[in-house]
Amino acid sequence: MSHGLNKYFGKAWMLAVYMFLYLPIVTLVIYSFNDSKLVTVWSHASLRWYSALAADADLISAVWLSLKIAFVSALMSVFFGTFVAFALNRYKRFVGRTFLSSMANMPLVMPEVIVGLALLLMLVSVQHWLGFPERGLFTILLGHALLGTAYAAVVVTSRLKEMDGRLDEAAMDLGSKPWQVFTLVTFPLLVPALVSAFLLTFTLSFDDVVLSAFLSGPGYNTMPMVIFSRARLGLNPTINAVATVTITVVTIAVIASSFYTSHVERKRKREMALAYSDAIR
Amino acid sequence: MATASKPQTGMKSAEKEELLRIEGISKIYDGTVKAVDDVSLTVYKGEIFGLLGGSGCGKSTLLRMLAGFEAPTKGKIYLAEQDITNLPAYQRPINMMFQSYALFPHLSVWENIAFGLKRDGMPKDQIAERVEKMLGLVQLTKFAPRKPHQLSGGQQQRVALARSLAKRPQLLLLDEPLGALDKKLRETTQLELVNIIEQVGVTCVLVTHDQEEAMTMASRIAVMSEGYFLQVGDPDTVYEMPNSRKVADFIGNVNMFEGVIEEDEPDHVTVRSLECIHYVGHGISGHAGMQVGVALRPEKVMLSKRKPKGDYNWAEGEVIEIVYFGAHTTYHLKLASGMVLKAQEINSTRDLSCGLTWGDKAYAHWSNEAMVVLTQ
Repeated sequence: MSHGLNKYFGKAWMLAVYMFLYLPIVTLVIYSFNDSKLVTVWSHASLRWYSALAADADLISAVWLSLKIAFVSALMSVFFGTFVAFALNRYKRFVGRTFLSSMANMPLVMPEVIVGLALLLMLVSVQHWLGFPERGLFTILLGHALLGTAYAAVVVTSRLKEMDGRLDEAAMDLGSKPWQVFTLVTFPLLVPALVSAFLLTFTLSFDDVVLSAFLSGPGYNTMPMVIFSRARLGLNPTINAVATVTITVVTIAVIASSFYTSHVERKRKREMALAYSDAIR
Repeated sequence: MATASKPQTGMKSAEKEELLRIEGISKIYDGTVKAVDDVSLTVYKGEIFGLLGGSGCGKSTLLRMLAGFEAPTKGKIYLAEQDITNLPAYQRPINMMFQSYALFPHLSVWENIAFGLKRDGMPKDQIAERVEKMLGLVQLTKFAPRKPHQLSGGQQQRVALARSLAKRPQLLLLDEPLGALDKKLRETTQLELVNIIEQVGVTCVLVTHDQEEAMTMASRIAVMSEGYFLQVGDPDTVYEMPNSRKVADFIGNVNMFEGVIEEDEPDHVTVRSLECIHYVGHGISGHAGMQVGVALRPEKVMLSKRKPKGDYNWAEGEVIEIVYFGAHTTYHLKLASGMVLKAQEINSTRDLSCGLTWGDKAYAHWSNEAMVVLTQ
């Protein structure tokens, strides 16, 4: 009796959690097809706000800017993050190791507002002394890469940790100089981790509003900044449309990548099973 | 303990050509932990040398120093009279077959074997030729395009062997070569491995914690403990004539009697222990009144229900445990002193030969030459 009750309770609980997580998103998607000018009042379905979005040059250029920044800053994050992870993992003793490891993790725990403010103050004084850099695309990239490097380092570190250190030794034993060990063995095995680090830092940058707000200059408005500033003036249903487009793209990407990973994993398992049945024969 | 094939047993010492010489090598971690403590060793050409010891005895550290992954704190390593102590791993003419193989998962079997040859800048056609030869040697020709995860454990082991032999190293290091295989596969693989190594004629240093593996594969073994060698010798010497209680205890099973030398003659000794008087049919380097250990292997103990004749080399006890292994049975006899004596009987017929069962009184007896007197 109590067992059956538990089962129903469990299901109800799960449903509640899913509702909590996804109901707002579903509502947003539905209301993006709303014809009414008021965000919260349903009149009838239409694609009105999608055509409005197509005509909204500000919003579209903001989306492009965000994509560009996300792409470049993700590349930078993965590049630097890999170096940090590699240094911390493969070299157990060097001067400043503890310092580097805590500095690399700092942006993860530091409130973003403080990171943004600190960066702004620094960049302003640097600009004062050197006349460079002008606040805009470059400074946003810098901020995002700083935050992203910390996340990328975490992802790459976990992969490096589970990687068999003997592989490096085997490569060296067979005559690889240290840089060859990296390019021929470590790097190829690291690729999956680099891809996921890239995706993670890309999304971090794409929806970042705090750092961008601190670091952007005139004329450089990222998509989240535009959405945020418009939301303050009163919500415009175009925002719903752009959000729906974003969600669709992200969902397709996530589903595709998880299908691909599970396909690879299943193939690998099948081949392993085959290898063992071969051996028994 | 079967001793398989021993390429070196017929060799006279004058013919031995030195290949590897280790001089007083030590590895000290953090200034205090002595992983390897002043070890010296000479390995001759064509030999399979076994380093045997429990975990943490320093055998792996020693092997890693030979490979060049660790720098010794003290001492020198010479390979064919050349000092290689400070040579980096990638320049040493030494290759290693790793524990659990460390095959490159992103490369095919073919590419794994070719890896070392490519690093040497060998021409492509020669690489292909050498890889084919190696594949033939380990009988994996048709598996060349497969990735390591598409192979069984035994096949992976052979790829690892082929890869470590491809560069024709002067010295091959084997780190627990059979550790990752199950028991049945081990026995066949063991012989296969020795055959291939002999065919190639490469000198080997083998590290293992498995005494059977060391005894069957190696032509000489060193028993290692706490960073130094307890004994170095042929497997049968180390087994039959251990030089200390530690070695006797580590290699195989042993019954250890503690006693005092009563008679010390050139042709025999008698030792009185709590359990019985031992009559040892050869002289030893000791003196009367000396405290010694008498080591007796279980397979050298015979059991009977009747009291043996004479005053020496027998003890009476009660069967408290019978452990059946199929090929043989081990009886545990509790003696009056409280000592438990193990006796291993071969099951030569299908009904258990002794007819002993739990709680029976039995007599254990052994010959004059069955035991070893240990002073250390």
